[in-house]
Amino acid sequence: MTRYPVKDKVAFAGTGATAFSRDSGERSQLSLCAEACTRAVENAGLTAADIDGIAGAVPIAYKVQSALGIPETTWWTSPPQEGSFVQVILEAMNAVYSGACNTVIAYHTFYRLPWASRAAAKDPFRRMLSITGGVSPAPEDVWGSVGYTAWASRYLYEYGASREDFGLVAVNSRSNAGRNPNAVMRSPIGMDDYLAARMIRWPLSLLDMDVPIDGAVAFVITTAERARDLPGRPVLIHAATAGVIDRNEEDQTPGLRNHGQRVTVETLRARSDLWLDDMDVYYPYDGFSFITLSWLEAIGLCGPGEAGAFIRDNWDDKTNSLVIHGKVPVNTHGGSLSEGGTQGAGHIREAVLQLRGEAGERQVLGANTAILTPGGFFFNAHGLVLRAE
Amino acid sequence: MRPIQLQNISISGTVRACRTADPPCDGVKETVLSGISDAEVLERYPRTAVDHDNKYFYQGLLERKLLVNRCNACGRWHQPPRPICPSCWSRDITATEVSGEGVIHLLIFLHQGPPAAGVDYATPHPVAVVELAEQEGLRFSTTIVNADRETLRIGLPVTLTWIERDGNPFPAFAPAAV
Repeated sequence: MTRYPVKDKVAFAGTGATAFSRDSGERSQLSLCAEACTRAVENAGLTAADIDGIAGAVPIAYKVQSALGIPETTWWTSPPQEGSFVQVILEAMNAVYSGACNTVIAYHTFYRLPWASRAAAKDPFRRMLSITGGVSPAPEDVWGSVGYTAWASRYLYEYGASREDFGLVAVNSRSNAGRNPNAVMRSPIGMDDYLAARMIRWPLSLLDMDVPIDGAVAFVITTAERARDLPGRPVLIHAATAGVIDRNEEDQTPGLRNHGQRVTVETLRARSDLWLDDMDVYYPYDGFSFITLSWLEAIGLCGPGEAGAFIRDNWDDKTNSLVIHGKVPVNTHGGSLSEGGTQGAGHIREAVLQLRGEAGERQVLGANTAILTPGGFFFNAHGLVLRAE
Repeated sequence: MRPIQLQNISISGTVRACRTADPPCDGVKETVLSGISDAEVLERYPRTAVDHDNKYFYQGLLERKLLVNRCNACGRWHQPPRPICPSCWSRDITATEVSGEGVIHLLIFLHQGPPAAGVDYATPHPVAVVELAEQEGLRFSTTIVNADRETLRIGLPVTLTWIERDGNPFPAFAPAAV
């Protein structure tokens, strides 16, 4: 019997976001973050005085508290921004459940940095924002983006897969982004466009990689009891986990079927009463197209190396997108590939919007259960099962 | 007062004495090494994150030796350089020269990337994760030289060779002689 006392005890009670943009002009990270936070608190039907916990990586939590004039908090955290936002959600959930605080504003800010965006490199106010601390990466440093590219090469080798398998993920995200007014890449693409895209790191091209954007997303997280008294539909955190193994360096990780995703799925499955047959929407991370294929296999929708065939078998020609078993759409917002790179925050926001019935023209009718697998392989694989009441 | 233990650390094939306090902590190795000093390593790698755990690796590079940490207690190799053996928790670790034999495990080609002396992305730059012959899963990431792109593939046996970058020896691999 798996010990998991927090099941269904903590809920999302509101969410807010800025516009997502490939160039937000002269806005700072604090400006974007503050806008998302105020929108989330308003969406929850609350005010600053109702917030007593604050969680997010950038800007540091107490500066956000000061900017928003949140009178008093009893708990805060600013964990390092290491590629997935879900750790912030997990910490907020645990803080609410433990009683460290009652109502948390949790945020994630994304900001084009000079190394990822030529336009950003021209902004003199962004030049100070470096992630390398004076150390120059070498071309042969296999971490981050290069690490995922390297394992994508192994995927092609071990399974005899093709780049078109990656392309299916890119097409699915783009087709869905067409129904999301906040997505930055909305013009439809087909496989020909995918195959013609500029190669960046073989075997991954421009369309295999998420789009750097400016923006912020925020959530109000509180007890399930409190959420039931607020105006919107509560979205309960039914189960959640991180998953990391010992050999988590990109070039040392054991193999395509043994990394953080394996631990995440095994743990989430053990903690959740709801599983693949119960889900109405699915959000696998797609910061790189290849990661989505790996999640489809790791979670058990198909066998190792079969994700390409699985997507083809479950392709909906009418919407030009993946609809699992004719019923479950995948990354309805367009994912990181087309909505914009949010390190998973956009996936969570979309799931919350869908389960609250606030997803506008792309609302999936009757969406009550969402499974999310944000993050990649090495140190940021995560899983969430959310359900609406 | 705890005794100071004498510990053998092999650098570049030569066994040299090194004092290690046991405890207070890992990573505090008061070396009495001759040859390449810590200061010289820092001077030769000004834009690299050299620290007390990986400095032996860089000292080795300057002497054209590819060193990988090996546990003296259980014999397991591990990467990247750490002050403790992840298999048995021994802190008796030796930076040990590897044979230089391996097989390409992961292989990509960079069409763009960070600036580096002698790397022109007009020809896509190969980056390989090489599985070293010493132990299953023990890998080293570098580039491949002396090979056409068409001949490179995952599974190809390769051998260590040395090129220069920024005036320092740089460990690359090349297809093994058939």
